[in-house]
Amino acid sequence: MKRLANLPPRTKRILFSVLLAFLLVFPFLDTGQANIDIAANCAAYAALALGLNIVVGFTGLLDLGYAAFFAIGAYAYGILNSYQLHPAWSNGWAPLAAIGFVAKLGAGAAATVHFTFPFWVMLPVSAVIAAGFGVAFGAPTLRLKGDYLAIVTLGFGEIVPIVVRNWSSLTNGAEGLNGVAPPSVFGHSFGIDSTPYYYVGLGIVLLLLFISQRLKPSRIGRAWMAIREDEIAAGAMGIHTTRLKLLAFAMGAGFAGLTGTFYIAKLQTATPDMFDLPVSIMVLVMIVLGGLGSVWGAIIGAVLLQLLQAWFLPELSAMVQALGNAVHSPFLSNLELTSASELIFGIILVTMMLYRRDGIVPASRNEVRLSFAQQDAAVSRGSLPAVERLSRASAQAAAAGAPAALAVRDLTVKFGGLTALKSVSLDVPAGGIVAVIGPNGSGKSTLFNSITGLVTPSGGSIDFAGHELIGQRPDQILRYGVARTFQNIRLFPNLTVMENVLIGQHTHLKAGPAGIVLGLGGVRAEEREAREFVLELLAMFGNRLIPRIDQGVAQLSYANRRRVEIARALATRPRLLMLDEPTAGMNPAESLELAEQIAGFRDLGLTVLLVEHKLDVVTRLADNVIVLDYGEKLAEGPADVVRRDEAVIEAYIGRGAVNA
Amino acid sequence: MTGSAIFLQQIINGVSLGAVYALLALGFTLVYGILELINFAHFSVFMVGAFVALVVLEAFGLQGQSVVMHGAPLVLVLLVALVVTMVASGALGVAIERYTLRPMRNVKGPMAMITTIGVSYILFNLVLLATNAQAINFPDPMPQASYHVGGVVIRLKEILIWIVSAVLMIGLNLFVKRTKLGKAMRAVAQDAEAARMMGVDVDNVVMIAFFAGSALAGAAGMIFGLYYNFAQYSIGYTAGLRAFTAAVLGGIGNVPGAMLGGIVIGLIETLGSQYIAARWADVIIFSILIGTLVFRPAGLLGMLAPNRS
Repeated sequence: MKRLANLPPRTKRILFSVLLAFLLVFPFLDTGQANIDIAANCAAYAALALGLNIVVGFTGLLDLGYAAFFAIGAYAYGILNSYQLHPAWSNGWAPLAAIGFVAKLGAGAAATVHFTFPFWVMLPVSAVIAAGFGVAFGAPTLRLKGDYLAIVTLGFGEIVPIVVRNWSSLTNGAEGLNGVAPPSVFGHSFGIDSTPYYYVGLGIVLLLLFISQRLKPSRIGRAWMAIREDEIAAGAMGIHTTRLKLLAFAMGAGFAGLTGTFYIAKLQTATPDMFDLPVSIMVLVMIVLGGLGSVWGAIIGAVLLQLLQAWFLPELSAMVQALGNAVHSPFLSNLELTSASELIFGIILVTMMLYRRDGIVPASRNEVRLSFAQQDAAVSRGSLPAVERLSRASAQAAAAGAPAALAVRDLTVKFGGLTALKSVSLDVPAGGIVAVIGPNGSGKSTLFNSITGLVTPSGGSIDFAGHELIGQRPDQILRYGVARTFQNIRLFPNLTVMENVLIGQHTHLKAGPAGIVLGLGGVRAEEREAREFVLELLAMFGNRLIPRIDQGVAQLSYANRRRVEIARALATRPRLLMLDEPTAGMNPAESLELAEQIAGFRDLGLTVLLVEHKLDVVTRLADNVIVLDYGEKLAEGPADVVRRDEAVIEAYIGRGAVNA
Repeated sequence: MTGSAIFLQQIINGVSLGAVYALLALGFTLVYGILELINFAHFSVFMVGAFVALVVLEAFGLQGQSVVMHGAPLVLVLLVALVVTMVASGALGVAIERYTLRPMRNVKGPMAMITTIGVSYILFNLVLLATNAQAINFPDPMPQASYHVGGVVIRLKEILIWIVSAVLMIGLNLFVKRTKLGKAMRAVAQDAEAARMMGVDVDNVVMIAFFAGSALAGAAGMIFGLYYNFAQYSIGYTAGLRAFTAAVLGGIGNVPGAMLGGIVIGLIETLGSQYIAARWADVIIFSILIGTLVFRPAGLLGMLAPNRS
């Protein structure tokens, strides 16, 4: 199956066409109504799985109350196209009656309203209603950490069926809605024939498949995956994580709502237990089986599990029971394997997690193998002027706003009883390179985290180009033009070099969900340009990264990962670039090469603040060096002056090093 | 019964129920404190514990409510059943950790949580199939003695539940606070890496946490069975979710918080059922869960969980 995902696009298209042709003629193969009905149910669950895949697979948010949105979509249609509600007729209903959304029952004062909202109208409306509930449930909870979110969604997943059970006047309680009208086309009702439902289901799956496929490699899909891979790094790259999580949640809910309407129209009844926790778990099992984040995996997982329940287990039970009757074994003749389906779900979950976490159709591509020529090639040096866009961007920003100077005043950070930074002040002039050095634990990374909004200081101020940074979200700070790398490298490990650097451009791209799904020209041009910019940026490192552009970053060497992280930070078109130990893990030659490149950033108009341990790199680069020790500023000045400072030698450099 | 007597009676019922939730909540809190993992398998360990106790009590020849014992034999039988149940549940917890969760220890994202859901589902459905989804009558050898205090009835059973729960909770608290292993546990909860460097066997600590939490869940299962006189495959889910709410309400990772949260949730359940409506009790409890997470994620007594970024 993994190989299937790596077939050339042409072969994939042919396979897809053959599959589609088969699915289109399937009802005419005369395999019986029951099989068509099973296929229609497969479609419903595939649609559900595609929605949950956006939430869990793309964005990494475990949603255990997904069936609630299925229920909301189902009841929205069920209530608005059945005899459940029958308010007294008044002339206010006349406009709705005129377009066929309601009908008048009876006459005179006893007349009541009969809701007949058409199925085709309710499909999108239910999606919107469910998405609205998704936003309402998600807005207060999505800023919670991932594991808490799971439990909150579980709570909502419980509350919705309870409300449905208890609010009898609206939902007919535990008995369920009856007499939900089937859809009709030009006055021909679908009735109970499975074939039309099959085609509608197929259409829904194709639509949702198309939407998923379009979103995945887009600005939005990448942001979702960035959140999944590393939420803190995603925020630091300018992604408004709460908003994007909400979008994923709402979109998944919308898919479920739409499917709910389809499902209920097909069944023509709805009871609360159709939407309890086991349904949410079943859909989760489907996408785990198929492969989290894999669009085709979601569909295949859904179809397999539906076939397991609706066809394989009953057939197997019948066979075992026949065998039991033949050998006169009461145990075998009474064995009902269908009741073991949930046990099988549990086994699937555990087995997949332990042995095949990527599912049967893994979402991530195979690694691109480097040719011998590429592996053997002498390392070439790139050139900075190639990054023309970058200098243009920084020139524009400089012309537009205040100079890109950073001023930190009396910054104090406390973690419980520990004071990590104590009244530290420092300046980074626009266009300057300032280095912060100091022993481990002296507060260098805390300083970086305070500037980029990951840590909330307890006092002081941080001003960048006229903006106060304290109290701002990391993504807002990035928008002001402050980008950073992390000491322990926070790339998005399961994404490629290209995708990682593209995510850096998140704030500079504008594509919205509608534009992406419709494939508007502007969106495509923007995407093309973004990819070109990635190539330009990577060319800065010569042939070190370009041949590996489609490799997962987890496969790269440590030094190359540092380079990707720097490229990703540059892709945000920053005015202030903050590098946390950029040369860590590089050999002396590589370190000096990078130092030259950093010096080149200044020529592009960037301001640089770096934490660095290698004093030769610091001496070479920095106009000014700030020494931190125990959270306090110990010394400040040009590198050669600081190097001779008695206190600095004592605290950091060590006497032996100087004497030697 | 007068209004105030009803109120007091519900308080007593609530505390008994809350003791069960508190014992169960401790397991969530211990594991979350160390691994930052919501262990859904805990739900089913509780349920399996109830069945283990049922089997042990029946092995003593106790069927339903027919046999009533007194004095030393009663205490002995209950004690043996409790110990066997706790050891068996603890072993189940350790096995779950060792074979399904340890391989997932360093996997990011919701993977480990999904695994615990799978484990929980497996246990749940095994018991469902084995019992034909029926509720099973739970042996109750205790004499139906009760004490009338100011119009309120306190049953012997309740007193026993309070004593056992209190002993177990105090024992756990002492274990975490006073023993070397307990100290290692707190160290791992703060920073597993640093603890490892200081010579703490992290795997061992995780195992102990699973054993202790699961053993308490087993005890809670037995108490549940004795209190309600039945055991069923589905008891783990409802009780588990409420106990989790209790752990969150008290401040997840916080041992006294779990106890406090358990009692509070028990009281809310009984008082809510009395004065609002039983059918809305779950809505109230889940609203508390969501409300706590949204407005006061640290819970009543503050969260004590590893601070990983």
